[in-house]
Amino acid sequence: MSARILNRGELLRLIDEAACDRRLIGPMRRGEHAFYEAANRAAELDLEGPPCVYSPKNHFFPPEETLLTFERKSRSFVTRTVRHETSTALVAVRPCEVHGIRLLDHVFGAAPSDEGYLARRRATFIIALDCFRPCRDEAFCGDLGTNTAHLGFDLMIRRLSDAEDEPRGAERFELTSATEDGASLLSRTRLGRAADRDDLDAARAYDHRKAAAFPRRLACEADDLPDVAQRGYASDIWERTAARCYSCGSCNLACPTCYCFNLRDEVSLDGKSGARVREWDGCQLREFALVAGGHNFRAAPAERLRHRVMRKASWIAQRTGLPGCVGCGRCDRVCTAKISLVEILNTLAREQDHDHAGHT
Amino acid sequence: MTTLDTLELRETRDPYEPAVARLIETEPLTELERLFVFEPSDGQALGHRPGQFVQVWIPGVGEAPISICSSPTRGRTFELCVRRVGEVTSHLHRLTAGEEIGVRGPLGNGFDMTVMQGGNVLVIAGGLGLAPARSVIEYVLDERARFDEFHVLYGARSPAELLFRHDLIRWRHRAAIHLLVTVDRPDEQWRGRSGVVTKLFADLPRLNPERTCAVVIGPPVMFKFVVVELLARGIPQDRIFCSLERRMRCGIGKCGHCQINADYVCVDGPVFTYERMRELPEAVT
Repeated sequence: MSARILNRGELLRLIDEAACDRRLIGPMRRGEHAFYEAANRAAELDLEGPPCVYSPKNHFFPPEETLLTFERKSRSFVTRTVRHETSTALVAVRPCEVHGIRLLDHVFGAAPSDEGYLARRRATFIIALDCFRPCRDEAFCGDLGTNTAHLGFDLMIRRLSDAEDEPRGAERFELTSATEDGASLLSRTRLGRAADRDDLDAARAYDHRKAAAFPRRLACEADDLPDVAQRGYASDIWERTAARCYSCGSCNLACPTCYCFNLRDEVSLDGKSGARVREWDGCQLREFALVAGGHNFRAAPAERLRHRVMRKASWIAQRTGLPGCVGCGRCDRVCTAKISLVEILNTLAREQDHDHAGHT
Repeated sequence: MTTLDTLELRETRDPYEPAVARLIETEPLTELERLFVFEPSDGQALGHRPGQFVQVWIPGVGEAPISICSSPTRGRTFELCVRRVGEVTSHLHRLTAGEEIGVRGPLGNGFDMTVMQGGNVLVIAGGLGLAPARSVIEYVLDERARFDEFHVLYGARSPAELLFRHDLIRWRHRAAIHLLVTVDRPDEQWRGRSGVVTKLFADLPRLNPERTCAVVIGPPVMFKFVVVELLARGIPQDRIFCSLERRMRCGIGKCGHCQINADYVCVDGPVFTYERMRELPEAVT
């Protein structure tokens, strides 16, 4: 289905329509930051502000959730699987986050599939919001191509007009669909109008503007990133950088592609019933690779830092064919020790360039 | 590539929902280890491969990954040898016959026994590694005609820590299997060999390396020394099968705990060829 052009009022009505039988989750402004939180109406959402501090992954993959409940009998037990399938309209999801969600879909969808995750995911209608300029200095989505998404959402909003040159209320928003659900909402609501020649020109201008708006941040080609990381395995950068790492796991919390978790049991006070609970875990935490008996396979912070960077830059892509890092820069932004993923990658790339130059 | 659009809606057992197994009998093996014989409550055999593991669940306590120490050739029951090291294993040790536990699995790749068919099998087990190794040993003994020479090297720290003594005695007296046992720290009663497990290689007959598969299971420190011996005997890297231990949680390749380099031990392993292990620098460190 071809694009439709909506003005601001129509866009808000479209979002409200999408949320009429779903709960609405989108960017809610809290001071200078925004967070994906519940809203009553689209007008409450901050569609112009900065991307949210955390990715929206917690709406499919909550920080803590009950997977099953159990009741203990004298010598046995019974279990019951718990499903959460609240319909959700998730609004203003950025392209980097869409790529993060696609990775989670891949991981949790791979056999044996995580039916709880998939149930939540299927019950979610995603309205993505394209970025026409980088949101922060730490971002390198432009280098990775994750500043644009063609799949993994129901509807995509692109704001064809520049923020600067058009008065509020007169903006043009282009809506395209990537799923039947998205297309059917567009055709059912009949909001706005079909894109005309002038809109297509504006869309082309948008593409050009966008292509020029993202400066290069990565010192190597995105395609070479897995090799750069792999060649850097024995580098001393891990020791040097991890010397100031607090192993706090903030990077894991903020990352749109982190999905590691722990499983644990919770028991009622009488000990007769309880729940099996899943909670987020992080590879930067000291206990992450500890085995029964006390051996820790990644006891040193440097080993854990290397693990995270390797995973993001190389291993996930090897396993899934999808980007393991979406270049959003959140980990850099939240790091309590000012450790920068992109700086590590760039240092490795430059060291290797230098080594290479030295040999020739 | 799997995307949500291509995933079918299907009704499957939730991967986190355990099946139920009933404890048939249990016996102590050492001060720390006990043997448990379980039967799946639905009456169906696990259908495992030697070298696979299960996630054992004690409701209200948690899960622990435990290698299956019996061969799939031994009927509906399956056996676990459990060292008491944490909460789950301590609870297991207090179970009595008739009680039920949760079980997810069999999980992991296990050993591909068909690759070993027609040739010699050499098993090297250290410490608790004899538990998963026993699933291979029983399998080869039950399917003996399909294999050629069969050698087993087993090292324990001390005589008191020897596992499966009844089995060791039976195996010692069978022509179908050549078993060598050593202990690191012998006591006054010990009449057998002493020293680390690699010392047993001196007592092995010459094996045609191209027709031999090696199965290596033991503590991380054992691998590099054993592998050196195997390579020195010309056994190809892709015929050396090692079983690794990691902190496995989900057991289905998602939670990230058992990852070593690009591989997940719970689904890509726990059995890796030495050829593959060389690509995984974290594998035995």
